[in-house]
Amino acid sequence: MKKGLIITMPRYDDVTEYFSQFSKEILKKAEEEGFPVKDLVDKEAVKSSFESAAKSFPYSLAVLNGHGNADEIFGHDKKPLVAKGVNDQLLAGKITYARACEAGASLGKSIIDSNKNGCFIGYELPFQFYGNITWAANPIKDNTARIFFGPSNAVPIALINGKTALEAHENSKKIMLKNLNKTLRNVNKDSLAVAEALWNNYEGQVLLGNENASLND
Amino acid sequence: MKKDNSNKSDEISEEARTLVIARIDAQVPSNLRLSIGSFGGMTKEQMIEHVKKGDEVGKQIVKSHLRFLQAQSSGKITKALISAE
Repeated sequence: MKKGLIITMPRYDDVTEYFSQFSKEILKKAEEEGFPVKDLVDKEAVKSSFESAAKSFPYSLAVLNGHGNADEIFGHDKKPLVAKGVNDQLLAGKITYARACEAGASLGKSIIDSNKNGCFIGYELPFQFYGNITWAANPIKDNTARIFFGPSNAVPIALINGKTALEAHENSKKIMLKNLNKTLRNVNKDSLAVAEALWNNYEGQVLLGNENASLND
Repeated sequence: MKKDNSNKSDEISEEARTLVIARIDAQVPSNLRLSIGSFGGMTKEQMIEHVKKGDEVGKQIVKSHLRFLQAQSSGKITKALISAE
């Protein structure tokens, strides 16, 4: 396994647009660190391209953005990109971060069961975020969405910085709590709504498998 | 509270539904959109509609609110916030 990043960035609705825009911060970090990257963007984020990339670029970190369910992570146009029992073995031994709904509940366990050296960080509950319509055309400036995407991006960024999976996971959750604290202290009209969604992500984020895994291995 | 990962799970009581609708109505400003699971960009009105219908996303919204309320009342959130200081 080589040090590097495979990242999927489907983009076909508001949610995947936000995922993709905020993923640029992960790409920027990877570039700063001289990290090889294979990105599958827009229509390239499909099962066949992913399978081909996973074989041609045996990189140690996979970041998967998209909709999903307990057994699948979707790519472009909500078509399965990785599915339990179909092609999830391509993630075996890697450190995988899935910004997709509920994949931690079943798919993540299946990946880890096939190779105990790797790990999976994802969500057992549906990932939630609030976005401000003012910034819908320019998500990166949406400070409400940033409350959610900041701690989420912190997982792969910490991994690229050489932290272990456990450190990356715990650091991300700590940032969620800091954001939660700040949100609740600000007491403005959206505080409780934002806090409730952030708490959902805090409770839902899980680390499965080898918590000592790092990209330095 | 035990995490419920199922989308199809238990029925949501009418009381819970009413409570969550009131919370959404009071707490969600009109300029925000909620994305939850595969359902993106819901307005406050759309959220309330899903909760009233009791469909999959409506149930997820209700459960999320109930988990938050439970965590608030049990002191779980306070404990977590203290641990992060």
